[in-house]
Amino acid sequence: MNREDYRKAFDELSFSADFQERTADLLQQRARELEKERMNMTFSKTKKMAALIAACVALLAVSVSAAYMWLTPAQVAEEHDQPLLAEAFQGPDAIAINETVESGDFSITLLGLVTGRNLDTLNPDLEQDHTYSVLALRRLDGTPLENETFDFGSYTMTPLVAGCSPLAVNNWSLDAFAQGFAKDGVYYYLLDTRSIEMFADRTVYMAFYEGFVPNNDTFTVAEDGTIAFADDFSGVHALFTLPLDPAKADRAAADAFVESTGMNGWTNERSDPEGEWNIERHETEDGEEIFLTPKGEQ
Amino acid sequence: MVPFGTDETISRMVADYSDMLLRLASARLGSTADAEDAVQEAFLRLLTARPAFRDQEHEKAWLIRTTLQRAGDIRRRAEQRNIPLEDVAEPMAPESPGEELRSAVRALPEMYGAVIHLHYYEGYSIKEIGKLLGLPAATVGTRLARGRERLRQMLKEDVV
Repeated sequence: MNREDYRKAFDELSFSADFQERTADLLQQRARELEKERMNMTFSKTKKMAALIAACVALLAVSVSAAYMWLTPAQVAEEHDQPLLAEAFQGPDAIAINETVESGDFSITLLGLVTGRNLDTLNPDLEQDHTYSVLALRRLDGTPLENETFDFGSYTMTPLVAGCSPLAVNNWSLDAFAQGFAKDGVYYYLLDTRSIEMFADRTVYMAFYEGFVPNNDTFTVAEDGTIAFADDFSGVHALFTLPLDPAKADRAAADAFVESTGMNGWTNERSDPEGEWNIERHETEDGEEIFLTPKGEQ
Repeated sequence: MVPFGTDETISRMVADYSDMLLRLASARLGSTADAEDAVQEAFLRLLTARPAFRDQEHEKAWLIRTTLQRAGDIRRRAEQRNIPLEDVAEPMAPESPGEELRSAVRALPEMYGAVIHLHYYEGYSIKEIGKLLGLPAATVGTRLARGRERLRQMLKEDVV
């Protein structure tokens, strides 16, 4: 058997001629029903809330931040149809964080994380531990965040590790899978990465910021390896320190991982794009070979 | 990206991904009707889960994973209802070489079947499959090699 045989065997299959039309119709109808349900729920919730607020105002004053209710990480996992993960978020290995940073127009709350194996029902036979982290985002002025309008792709949620280049340990090298949804005006991120516990004997961060791949416009790395946002970074941002158990660190695995990325270089100095490359020229029989390597890369 | 749920995005995604997902589901399910159910269920999950995708690769990866999960669910439900395979006296003879190959692929353990299909039908590299399924490339390579070996044993011919 070769690829051609394989393709031929599966190309022989015929599906319903109207599958696409039928499926699109079904989805469009279901989307309208869901929208109607959502509007009804919002309406009924608003009426209930009005009654509740009227009752509470007479009894006590509660600060806005204390009164704010998030979904729990377990509920976020349930929304993603991940029952095993939801259970893990309620188990002994879960780490509750519940820290909030206000930045720009947003309040950013890291709710918690858990590390484990085979917690993902969509991908049940992973052969290594993964870390799942949940973050909540809301607007400080109370304007609800909605799936239809929130620009998920403009923000990045990523682990970073002190002493390692942000180019080496980040979402991209950790094979992250980020998902999000809005509920009751709050936007929830569920980030799945390879386990970050191997770095637990160092300072491990969870960064959230407006932007894409980490670079020196966004971050600075101090001589002792500490990572911080650049002083002039103006986008929405928050940096949380994760309370991981140092006993779970695996320095050899962490070093091997960083080494495998081939990206453990860093410079805080910014330069014009043309000056960011080392240029090596070598004479060859056919002329000249030119090697370009990023200056920060070792 | 435009959020899923508008008529425009629904039509685009159904048109872009249906064929690929139906054949992927057929690598796990013997009935085309079941494959169609699995793919419809995966699309419906988009409406309720409302994931926000970074880009089209992320969108595709999500649909592939969800379709595989739905196909696995349908298969497990069917297996629970049916007589165990070992109680069946004699399996029916395959009607064509294509049917024989499809049956062999479906008989592979779940962890091998998806990798084999994505590689042989869709032409994805080991690294690309790793990204789509959220697995390390080394794991994908191992599964591909083991899946090929099992197919070779079942089909009694070389698998290249």
